[in-house]
Amino acid sequence: MLNPILSFSARRRMRSFRTMLIAAGYTLVLLLLAFFMMQSLMGSYVSIAAANAGVNAYAVLIVAQFALLVLIAPAMTSGAIAGERERRTLELLLVTNTRSFRIVAGKTLESFALLCLLIVCGLPVMCLTMLAGVSLFQILLGEAFLLAVAFAAACVGTLASALSRSTVLAAVLSYLMILAIGVLTAMPMILGYPQRITDVVYDTARYAELTPGGALKMISPVLLMNPGFALVALIQEETRVLNSYMEYREWGRILATWRMMDRAGCGTVALVSSGLIAASGFVLMCVSTLLVRPGKKHRKSGRK
Amino acid sequence: MLQIEHLTKYYGKFPALQDLNLEIGDRQLHGFVGPNGAGKTTTMRILATLMAPTSGTASVDGVNVVKNAHEARKLIGYMPDFFGTYDNMKCSEYLDFYGRCYRIGAKERARMTAQLLELVQLEDKAEEYVDSLSRGMKQRLCLARSLIHDPKLLILDEPASGMDPRARADMKGILRTLREMGKSVLISSHILPELSEMCDSLTILDHGHLVFSGSVENLSDMMNGNAPLDIRLAEGSGETAVEQAVTCLKELPCVTEILQEEPLLLRVRVDGGEDVCSAVLREMMVRGLPVCDFHRAPMNLEKVFMEVTQDA
Repeated sequence: MLNPILSFSARRRMRSFRTMLIAAGYTLVLLLLAFFMMQSLMGSYVSIAAANAGVNAYAVLIVAQFALLVLIAPAMTSGAIAGERERRTLELLLVTNTRSFRIVAGKTLESFALLCLLIVCGLPVMCLTMLAGVSLFQILLGEAFLLAVAFAAACVGTLASALSRSTVLAAVLSYLMILAIGVLTAMPMILGYPQRITDVVYDTARYAELTPGGALKMISPVLLMNPGFALVALIQEETRVLNSYMEYREWGRILATWRMMDRAGCGTVALVSSGLIAASGFVLMCVSTLLVRPGKKHRKSGRK
Repeated sequence: MLQIEHLTKYYGKFPALQDLNLEIGDRQLHGFVGPNGAGKTTTMRILATLMAPTSGTASVDGVNVVKNAHEARKLIGYMPDFFGTYDNMKCSEYLDFYGRCYRIGAKERARMTAQLLELVQLEDKAEEYVDSLSRGMKQRLCLARSLIHDPKLLILDEPASGMDPRARADMKGILRTLREMGKSVLISSHILPELSEMCDSLTILDHGHLVFSGSVENLSDMMNGNAPLDIRLAEGSGETAVEQAVTCLKELPCVTEILQEEPLLLRVRVDGGEDVCSAVLREMMVRGLPVCDFHRAPMNLEKVFMEVTQDA
């Protein structure tokens, strides 16, 4: 039987006018971006510069979708558990035969489903970049990354919601949590963890011998969980935008990490990173389950 | 059907419920009465598996609600003192959703939904949105929700609060029907007369302690036996007669309290039964006091409730 919380919440969500507005707004923003980025492709002939503009459009659209999802997800997911608390329906769910994990999973997947809807709305716009030579694989890789980010964002939103008494508090908390996750997972690169990477990158012989698998292993798993890092890998795969900076040795460790990423294969890094982001989202969802159990009551729903 | 043994719940150091023992049989409407903070909701939340007790245990039809909560939930229908409804949702969808949460099959859900909407007299509202219903209707819909999985025991926390007299009467009618259907019902309120009209038995809680448990008749009998005596002196008796009566009563060791309700009416509490009352009357007659009326003060259930809960 399909998770009843998922189908019930999704049905309610789709009856809301706000959902339609969000989907329309999301698509409109992407369409406008695509229009401005790819205007040069609409001429009578296609130049190299125009083709480059099309490839750049892919990067812009991915970044825009990433930013929109990160902005929208907390607002969409903050009511998942906190909303049930505010309506005082959480207790009614907890006294049924539906276990806490199913409640949390249903709520998370419902929020994720809405984010998936947005990603699907953006897919035709993304496909426009294929006119400029972006491959189908690259489009699918980008979509996989966005799905992973959407799932993780939904899980963070649900966790914030499980921790909060009100929807507004949950939304604020999830923005803070997303920011904290972004900063904390970037720490290995900022704090000098990749010193050992630097040693390899600047040793020509060792760098030449390094296999893509070996290079991937040298990148910190914590860094791979950083959505920003995965995004850079994804864009680099298509646009090679970092190539011109690859010899700036004064950038030290940051540059070294990028070069290691390049050696491992940006597409592979993006894929592995997406997988890790989704997995860490799943862990957060399990943590949320611990907060949504009979007996785990918030002050507002406590004894009279 | 329901057995509660030594149930105790502490919130930090505050005792919300202390050593509660209670038994409710099959097909019984049992009232749970007490002032605010008496421990009614705490008890009900423990029985509904929403809260673990500090100590003690409770079982429904032999299933321990503390150790085997998942199984116990199949036997219990819980209706809290709030609606807990969703917007953007029709009444039939609302019931169907909770039916799915109890893992009831589609055909059975459809049958139960129709049957329950008829029971709570909302069959014509099946396709209307929940947020368009009146308070009384929402309350009845919530009652239907708590019945969707055909539980043996219903736990209703102040189901008639905030309802108008008509809606209260409807709710009482539905509860009687449920008893005829073979359900046991535990229903809480802080209004004793309201419950006494419909319940077979009552439990009165105060400050987490059980102060009475038994039938409504037992409660009235018990309280009438302890009711104060109203002693009226004859019209025209002067203040001296009243003073003499008070002096006489004060000299009797069985008299515990004397209040002058009116110029010629004394309300007297005595420690004892009918024999003590007759001894008091006899003594007053011997002393030649002009007693023209001597009887136990009538007790209604509101007074009974106040009496029972004042000393706990």
